[in-house]
Amino acid sequence: MIPPEQIWIIIPAYNEGPVIEQVVSKVRESGFPNILVINDGSKDDTAQQARSAGAKVLSHPINRGAGAAAQTGLSYARRRGWLYVVQIDADGQHHPEDIYRLVKMQKESNADIILGSRFLEPSPGIPPTRILYNRISNILTNTFCRRSYSDTQTGFRMLNHRAIRNLRLRLDGFGYCSEMIVQAEEKGLTIAEAPIQVTYTDYSLNKGQDLVMGITTAVDLLWKLLFYPSKMK
Amino acid sequence: MKFEVYQIIVPLASLGFVFNLFRRFLKSKASWQEAALGAAFWLSVGIFALFPDAISTALADLFGIKSNINAIIFFCLGLIFFFQYKLFFMLKKSQMATTELTRKITLQQAEKEDLQS
Repeated sequence: MIPPEQIWIIIPAYNEGPVIEQVVSKVRESGFPNILVINDGSKDDTAQQARSAGAKVLSHPINRGAGAAAQTGLSYARRRGWLYVVQIDADGQHHPEDIYRLVKMQKESNADIILGSRFLEPSPGIPPTRILYNRISNILTNTFCRRSYSDTQTGFRMLNHRAIRNLRLRLDGFGYCSEMIVQAEEKGLTIAEAPIQVTYTDYSLNKGQDLVMGITTAVDLLWKLLFYPSKMK
Repeated sequence: MKFEVYQIIVPLASLGFVFNLFRRFLKSKASWQEAALGAAFWLSVGIFALFPDAISTALADLFGIKSNINAIIFFCLGLIFFFQYKLFFMLKKSQMATTELTRKITLQQAEKEDLQS
């Protein structure tokens, strides 16, 4: 088993002041002391709250999107030579104890990326709109992949040093979720999936992608895949 | 040949834009490609305003479009799509540059903090 001290938990966050302290604390309580919050130009006290809960914080001076924040986290991990990172959402929908399921899957499969899938053992209470949105995104993403994945839009992912070293994300928004998978396959990285549980609250439902954002994400991804395939590599 | 008011105003305005582009080029505020493309565009607009019927009918005949009005509409739609594409491309490029800069500043700041601690 990988010692928890070797794993850094990366949390991209934008205006998550009301919940970030609780999210960081829960991750620490689950046995993972190393937490990096990427404050993506929040206008509230996200950075202070995360720091007071014991996380290291990097702050974007302006808001650039979830993909940009994730890439900043990966760049920092590369510079620091981290061996494993687990990325989770800042809105509290993920259960930090599921990190162990990803770690276990990583050990069993030796895959470079483990996707935490919400749909392998579906949690009760996933809103139908989310299920529909994710199905459409899966079809779109899997069209450009060699394999088929059950949850291409998950924000819960584990990456090993090979993935950290090789991935170069370029999409600023939520399209990075698909970009990471397509790019990983292009670069010969292996991907596995592990089941995770999610709890949607009114707060987390308001924070996720809506239909308009979903369409923008799809257009962004298609634009890159069709017109700039080399930039997906 | 009888000229309408717009046939005087539009070519004069076009010449003004061409002159302005030429001045920007001389002051090195525009590249020669930019100036040439802009001048070609505004001269076309000016010439089209002078001979609207002859040019639109010639365009309609060339592309096999039924009437010269349809030819103008298709041509304008094409132009709008072209500019839309160009604007979208420019926007994406500038967004990517902004993100790159933001990330660089953040990582430099982090490095400084790491060295201090």
